[in-house]
Amino acid sequence: MRKAFVGMACFMLLATFAFGQNVIKLGANWTLSDVAGMECSKAAQMAVDEINKAGGVLGKQLQLVVVDDEAKGDVGVAAIEKLATVDKVDVLLGGIASGVAVAQIPTMKKYQLVTVATGAAASASVEKALGPSPDSDFYFHLHPWDYEQGQSYADGWAAIQQKYPNVKINRIFLGYEEGAFGKSSFDASKALFGTRYTFDGASFKSALTGGSDYSAVLQAAKDFKPDLFLWAGYAADALPLLEQSKAMKFSPPIYLGAPPAWPVDMGKSPLAENVMLYGMWAPSINNISPVSKKFYDSYIAANKTAPSSYFAALSYSAVYIIADGIKRAGGTDKAKLIAALEATKYASPLGETITFTPSNIIKHQGIKNQKILQWQNGQQEVIWPFEVQSKPLVFPLPAWK
Amino acid sequence: MTGPSLEKDSIVTDVSRSRLRRSLLWGTLGAVVVVALLLWKPTALIYGVQRAGLYAAVAIPMALVLGIVHIVNLAHGEFMMVAAYLAYFAARLLGLDPFIALVPVAVVMAVFGLVVYLLTIKHTLKAPELNQLILTFGLGIALSQTVNLMFTSQSWKLSLNYVTASATVGDLSFGVFDFVYAGVAIILAVGLKLFLTRTRFGKAALAVGQNPRGAAIVGINVDRTYAIVFALAVGLVGAVGSVFLTKQAIFPLVGGPYTMKSFCLVAMAGVGNIVGVLFCSLALGLSESIINSIRGYAGWSNIVFFAIIIGTILVRSFRERKA
Amino acid sequence: MTRALRIAIPAIVIAAAVLIPFVSGPYPLAVARSVLIYMALALSWDILLRSGQISFGIAGFFGIGAYAAALAVLKTSMSPVLSILGAGLVAGVVAFLLGFVILRLRAVYFSITTLALAEIFRVIIQNGGDFTGGPEGLVLPKLIFNGEAKALYWMALATVLLACMVSMIFQRSKLRFALTAIRNNELSARSSGIHIFKYLMIAFVASSFLQGVIGGIQLQGYGFASPDSVFDSYYTLLPLAMALLGGIYSTPGPILGAILLGVAAEYLKLKIPYGHLVVYGIIIVLVILLMPQGLFGLYRKRMKARASDGERAPGAERASGAEVRHG
Repeated sequence: MRKAFVGMACFMLLATFAFGQNVIKLGANWTLSDVAGMECSKAAQMAVDEINKAGGVLGKQLQLVVVDDEAKGDVGVAAIEKLATVDKVDVLLGGIASGVAVAQIPTMKKYQLVTVATGAAASASVEKALGPSPDSDFYFHLHPWDYEQGQSYADGWAAIQQKYPNVKINRIFLGYEEGAFGKSSFDASKALFGTRYTFDGASFKSALTGGSDYSAVLQAAKDFKPDLFLWAGYAADALPLLEQSKAMKFSPPIYLGAPPAWPVDMGKSPLAENVMLYGMWAPSINNISPVSKKFYDSYIAANKTAPSSYFAALSYSAVYIIADGIKRAGGTDKAKLIAALEATKYASPLGETITFTPSNIIKHQGIKNQKILQWQNGQQEVIWPFEVQSKPLVFPLPAWK
Repeated sequence: MTGPSLEKDSIVTDVSRSRLRRSLLWGTLGAVVVVALLLWKPTALIYGVQRAGLYAAVAIPMALVLGIVHIVNLAHGEFMMVAAYLAYFAARLLGLDPFIALVPVAVVMAVFGLVVYLLTIKHTLKAPELNQLILTFGLGIALSQTVNLMFTSQSWKLSLNYVTASATVGDLSFGVFDFVYAGVAIILAVGLKLFLTRTRFGKAALAVGQNPRGAAIVGINVDRTYAIVFALAVGLVGAVGSVFLTKQAIFPLVGGPYTMKSFCLVAMAGVGNIVGVLFCSLALGLSESIINSIRGYAGWSNIVFFAIIIGTILVRSFRERKA
Repeated sequence: MTRALRIAIPAIVIAAAVLIPFVSGPYPLAVARSVLIYMALALSWDILLRSGQISFGIAGFFGIGAYAAALAVLKTSMSPVLSILGAGLVAGVVAFLLGFVILRLRAVYFSITTLALAEIFRVIIQNGGDFTGGPEGLVLPKLIFNGEAKALYWMALATVLLACMVSMIFQRSKLRFALTAIRNNELSARSSGIHIFKYLMIAFVASSFLQGVIGGIQLQGYGFASPDSVFDSYYTLLPLAMALLGGIYSTPGPILGAILLGVAAEYLKLKIPYGHLVVYGIIIVLVILLMPQGLFGLYRKRMKARASDGERAPGAERASGAEVRHG
């Protein structure tokens, strides 16, 4: 009896040891108390489960370890330390806020773990901290930088004006929240739109930090008589801005919102009709991309709600890109993995194929294009790029009823 | 009495001749400002008053608690947030308009506030005020994070068509719905003033606020007074939360900035001065609005806000030293 | 407690703290570094608290220190170590100048004024354009000591030891009696001949100087500062909670409180990925309810009770500070 027991124990010990060798560990950090971070974590786990069910990578199972960074730089640094030294992960992924990412860069450089970043758009801080190749070659940045987003929008509006001749834009006004997100949006927009269009802007305090009054910005916008009014703020600002615009009878031909996410009930509001938005993914892409549909259906089946922003799709893509890279590299050796990731061609749920090309400073930039969408009948429909357009543009914004 | 103390003033009740003169002075100054704004930047006046209304409505219940129970409730904004979520569900699940749901939400919040008080705050009253401060800080975290856990940090917003009501004067169109906040604030201030000075319980509460030991000697049940006043304050901020829902988006952390603003306003008005909160909010709302409307300087409106608060506090302290 | 123990225990604790980097991995070290920063802030806040003034402006001087250090390094190529000292000096000078105006205030009015000042500092820096980096903040090209984990930890530890020393100076000298007297009854303190304003200013400047230094080491250790990150009210409220939970008016109190809340936060986060903050808030509530004098206050009460066989000397009670429940 005892022999059998010892034999069983030895077997289990060996099994765990062997099992431990048979796992590829992915380490992720997001802000779990924020809905975007939570959805990233769930989407990444979903991707890991799908890959494991299909046999794993190179015969090994993937394991995802997620550590909360609590939207604080010091906690984010501790998270990286934990993932690298305690969980001993093979690859890192994650991130949303630029403020946290920039604090983590020195620690990431210390460990040189291959990292696929799902967030961080502020180039003035994060890309500068990363520095040029080869110091930053371990870093594969999925999310577009602020200037890339701006360039993409500039291209998009040029294309839209060409395809729809009745859309004529000469004056653009940007209302931006006074924090880092709004300010960087303003700087990027001014640089890219200021040359071709008459451009102006004003700042407001976002409802996220207790602001409630946009009248000054809207009045300035109204006086400016723009062809395109856009605002860079947060979900909490979306409907109050529209409500105040309606009360002030401010209805520019194009009303565009660029928050990272929208309020849950946006689609239900009659004010949303034909408001345009910047984004990277919307459920309407399901009609064009089977990968998106699979991602979306699985996400709803597992979580009973739709993702609230594009971050879930980005996180899902990150896992697949990593898995694909490891497969082609034949393992997690850093140099081979970097070379394999450089050759990535991943058909993503975002409706585009992700590859890595250089950006201003770093060598491995994934997505550079954004999309221009429009709320129609409570749905976010893609307008541009035209290859993934789901509905034609409705122009101009109908006058407030 | 040892230990740090947050409360210094007693509830103001006297009206003297010099005070009348001072009120007249402020009144004329106010009228001049109003006329100037109407001519120069009418939007600043309109929106300033509306904003002031919102700040005052949220701050007045805190003034009540600070003046009588002498505790700083750092979970004040979180109570408002919970009320807003309740009103949201009342609207989505029961189809109740937030103005109708206002009363049941206020009652539920008052009961909730009473329970919280009896379970936690009541036991720290004999401890230094710092303990109550940190206790409510912990409560606030627990409340906002519980809501975050249950409903995520996403923004929720009702779409009521009457909130876009507008009026047009000349070529100026402006929203008029937000005057509701000013209305709520005035009702709260006047209602509380009457309650505290005319009703028996109110007068007893004032006595407790001024001198708890003396009130106890006279036979007033101090413990019960504290409990009822706290519950009342939570109920009132719950009512404000229901109105808040009509125009603002709600999310778990929406209450935090309003707690801080309320705290500042209450200190600026002077502890216990409920009607003073109205005038201070007006001053702050207008100044914020004016600075915001100057192109390029919107970012400085925060500084003006806090500078005015500090200035008022300092001027008052200089005046007290002189007297 | 015998004299030998009174020297031995801190010595052992300090030695252990210094040796931690040799036995622990980088992750616990990173967590410990964070805890030490909050600990130092809690100590600095307690110093001013002993005068009866409750400051809500920790984040303000912390942020000033961080930005002063960042600007010193970026604009004048000052050495990082010197910039930390400079950070403290800047914060101290600002406190000194402001003190003339605001130290006349008492109670909630002083507290709100410090809170308002912290917000004003934040907005000034946020609107500082390219000089302060605006809302996006400043990034350092490299970290102090090249980001070496052990060195960063020892830097934080050194700051805590500095804060401890300052705290003990305030606990063991004429300063202690002056501040305690002011706290208990300002009128009788003044009539005893204590120069109220002088002692308040000393405490205020010392407290702010420390907060500036801590801001400097935070900046040098993480290489990034933005208006929203370093002026966050979290840097005010959490040290307050730590000092209170650990036991105010003491040096060991804030230390214990920081360890309790700091370690609990990280531990809870790992065990309860979703909802750990709810537990955190409840812990704060429970500790206040069950241990109103804080951890160290509880220990002090037990020691006194044991020492004097249940009888409490009134003088000792008042000096030890935190209000005991009546009845």
